[in-house]
Amino acid sequence: MALEGFGPAFAFWLLSAITLISAGGVMMARNLLHAVLFLIVTFIGVAGFFILLSAEFIAMAQVVIYVGAVAVLILFAILLTPRSARDNSETVWGAPAALLSIALAAVLIFVIHDTAWSETNSFQAPSVEDLGRALLSTWVLPFQLASVLLTAALIGAIMLVRSPEEEAEDALS
Amino acid sequence: MSEVLNPFGSEIFGIWNWLDAIIRVVIMVTVMTVVVMYLIYGERKIVARFQQRLGPTRTGPAGLLQSFADALKLVGKEDLRPKRADRWVFEFAPFATFVPVFITLSILPFAQDWGVRNLPLGLFFMISALGLEIVGVMMAGLGSGNKFALLGAVRAAAQMISYEIPLVLSLLAVVMIAGTLDLNQMALQQDRYPYVILQPLAFLIFFTAMLSELHRAPFDIPVAESEIVGGYFVEYSGIRWSMFMLSEYAAMWGFSIFGAVVFLGGWQFPMGEDWGWGWQLALTMGKSLAFIFVMLWVRATVPRLRIDQLMSFCWKVLLPMSLVQILANGFILVYGGPYWLLTLTSSLGAAVLVAIIMRQAFRRSSTKTLVGAYRTQLQVPAP
Amino acid sequence: MNSLDVVGPQLAVLIAAGIIVVIDAVVPHQRRLIPYVALAGLAASALWTVSWVSRGYEDDIFGGTLALDEYAAFFYFLFAGITATIVLASIDWVEREGRRQGEYYVLVLTACSGLMFLAAARDLITIFLALELSSIPQYILAGWGKDEKSSEAGLKYLLLGAIASSLLLYGMALLYGLTGTTLLTEIGSEVAANGADNRSLLIVATTLLIAGFGFKMAIVPFQMWVPDVYQGAPTPVTAFLSVGSKAAAFAVVTRIFFEALSPEFLSNDWSMVFAVIAAVSMIIGNIMAIVQTDIKRMLGYSSIAQAGNILVGLAAVSAGGGDAFKLGGSGVLFFLAAYAFTNLGAFVAIIAISQQINSDRIKDYAGMWKRSPFLAVMLAFCLVSLTGIPPTAGFWAKIFIFNAAIRADLAWLVIIGVANSAVSAFYYLSVVKQMFLGEPAEDAARVSTSPSIALAVGAASIGVLVFFVIPMPLLSAAESAIQGLVPLT
Repeated sequence: MALEGFGPAFAFWLLSAITLISAGGVMMARNLLHAVLFLIVTFIGVAGFFILLSAEFIAMAQVVIYVGAVAVLILFAILLTPRSARDNSETVWGAPAALLSIALAAVLIFVIHDTAWSETNSFQAPSVEDLGRALLSTWVLPFQLASVLLTAALIGAIMLVRSPEEEAEDALS
Repeated sequence: MSEVLNPFGSEIFGIWNWLDAIIRVVIMVTVMTVVVMYLIYGERKIVARFQQRLGPTRTGPAGLLQSFADALKLVGKEDLRPKRADRWVFEFAPFATFVPVFITLSILPFAQDWGVRNLPLGLFFMISALGLEIVGVMMAGLGSGNKFALLGAVRAAAQMISYEIPLVLSLLAVVMIAGTLDLNQMALQQDRYPYVILQPLAFLIFFTAMLSELHRAPFDIPVAESEIVGGYFVEYSGIRWSMFMLSEYAAMWGFSIFGAVVFLGGWQFPMGEDWGWGWQLALTMGKSLAFIFVMLWVRATVPRLRIDQLMSFCWKVLLPMSLVQILANGFILVYGGPYWLLTLTSSLGAAVLVAIIMRQAFRRSSTKTLVGAYRTQLQVPAP
Repeated sequence: MNSLDVVGPQLAVLIAAGIIVVIDAVVPHQRRLIPYVALAGLAASALWTVSWVSRGYEDDIFGGTLALDEYAAFFYFLFAGITATIVLASIDWVEREGRRQGEYYVLVLTACSGLMFLAAARDLITIFLALELSSIPQYILAGWGKDEKSSEAGLKYLLLGAIASSLLLYGMALLYGLTGTTLLTEIGSEVAANGADNRSLLIVATTLLIAGFGFKMAIVPFQMWVPDVYQGAPTPVTAFLSVGSKAAAFAVVTRIFFEALSPEFLSNDWSMVFAVIAAVSMIIGNIMAIVQTDIKRMLGYSSIAQAGNILVGLAAVSAGGGDAFKLGGSGVLFFLAAYAFTNLGAFVAIIAISQQINSDRIKDYAGMWKRSPFLAVMLAFCLVSLTGIPPTAGFWAKIFIFNAAIRADLAWLVIIGVANSAVSAFYYLSVVKQMFLGEPAEDAARVSTSPSIALAVGAASIGVLVFFVIPMPLLSAAESAIQGLVPLT
């Protein structure tokens, strides 16, 4: 589907507004809970962009992984944090950070305008089957690397959070 | 006319398409509300029967209007918000819980090509919408400023994240055989036998995980009234409380239809394609009601699990079994084994699963094996 | 099966990790076998690499995402050696720590396989995943200790590492957006064809790549984490970080910049960037190292300065072109190998000493000569090599690098480098002075050395000496490795 006509343009600007405003909310919100909720909206907005680009699978994967797993884990971490430690504190770095991000945005916008991006006219949205085949043929190595990575991270995470009691129990056995 | 009724594959951005979508959604909302009211009535009646009571009898003939009366009462109630609550989070939480549930309803095929929309990735969409539901629950728990609500949210989140994995894996086992994520296609393929015949283990895992995702007994610790006064929505009242109720029962119904489509042949089995839409609709509703009846049956029979039992059941039993199921499917499908081999391996797995559950259920309890939440310094020497 | 054969060296390491997990879970009373399983896996990996060296190489595997060329093989040997030394040096420490023994080695081995993949990866996605595969175990290992310092190190490393990864990903995304491919060679030809018109994007992308990898290399604008993490992490892990991930980062940067970003209009830009970063890294690293009182912190700052030295080689690569390409590239590889031996020797000696005196303060090293002559001599020797004074491999390493820089008309950089070597001599040799001329405290006991530590430190020091006496084999290996890369110009 080409990104032409009123509908896609309207959808694009709407999604942009939602994503940017909520991304701003993530930064501005002093309450950590609000920040995470804004983050979730941002993720959903990004998923919307993926749908607009005919990448439905990635859009749904985005929702599953980022909203369903990452954001919920962050929420979980907040749940288990004492209320007093839950808020973003004020910093003196607000103004320099804003300046830096404006500068960065200016550079990026300039670059994006300046560049002749590689464009393609004949775009066929890949089906899930294509994705699966690609993952298990050309990209099988990164795919497997990711699984090794996850295993290592899993082992490490479990080790880091083990309580002394559990380790004592291990030593007993 | 047929184009309006059958928008599958049509352009997304068009007036007619939007109009059509809105009409379908409105019909869906109405049907859902009525169904949910009678689900509540049905639950009260059926569970009462299990417990040798009568259930509602006074409002209307045989208490049929009881739910309407309750709904009226709830709408009329004052909408309270505790002072300690986080205003926006508290007020948006019911919507954040309800919207994902409703979204899942909008992709289910009730009969051949009957539904709000049919997506080529319907099953995956269902899974991703499921992930969203947790957010609403956590919003309610965190925003209420109430310890019981917080506890309920923690329990719900831990449980839902955990059980989502075997749920998705068991669905994947079926997807491997079906070769599609399109729910309509999936139903269409089950014209001779439903997938539950091929994958009884996946079906058992799906059903168990589904109970947990829905917070139904015996996995109802997030909303356990006797422990945490109702869980994450303890502070809600009136219309917002009823939205939680609505989403809970709507999810129950949606899940039942979903399970019926994936495992029991949905509108297709038996004779769905031949006997027309009336029979298809009846099949879908009948199968989903059967699902719901079993859920109520389980609720009335099985006592509530403790959180460590619940977690270890998920991670140590359901997850490995679903992985084994996928592995077996992979071998059989890649090497072109006959379908009865799928049935055989999966039935063996299902037998093992049932045996494990039975062993746990009839095992004599011993305090020595308590782990997790119930571990104390007395049992384990300090390091 | 052919493709499994190609990733054999990494596979051997990962299989060893898997065996360790099983041993740890099934026969816990056999835990003391675990380090030897790890060593066996690393030896198998090295042997497998040897078999590839004799069989000739495989350039285009997994759809071009991986290359087993001379370059990768060079680093396979290097990483297997580094990890083996780390394992040897960890045996005592892990046993004393008394917990989570299996998992420690599992993570070290996984990180090692990640480093190996990083050296061989030829595709942006694979590079990123390999980088994470090597980093995440290291984040965890940095927080392995029981004390707060170690947790702080782990957390700091994780957070800053995540930022670096995101910068890196952004750079990669920009490159992909321009060229429409993630394969380095294809990016290279695309950049050569269309790059000149899109210089602004390439500069931004390159900057982001340098920022992302610069974190791992610990060069100056991205060096904030180094002292705290080096000090807080358990010493064997610090040794691993200072050698392994740094070498891998240089390996992958060299490959990316040679294979994908080497056209002249671009290479002039980044060689200047590298030259400036190199100078600043050397200066800041050395000056900060002087004032340190903690030996691990000091070595942390010194590793920043050493990274600056290596960058001199990278800067030389493109500034000269042609001959300097070979000189600079092989100089970088030679330096990395020599630095690996030297730094490992120093760190293993420190592990042995600090385990017994329970302190990392430099002034507690006073009179170490009397408490443990062997360790004191070895440590002194390695510190001399870090300074770059003969008779050590570090001497040749600096000579080669500076030679390449002079050929590339970077004389100003060489002057800064030599001046910095003089500065570094001050703090390296002051440790030596403490050890040999200082008087030990009254109640100081002798410091004993366990066989595994002695083996590790001895092997490293012998390496340092051997590569001084006969540097040619290593240098020619480095040269053929760097020629294994296919630069476009």
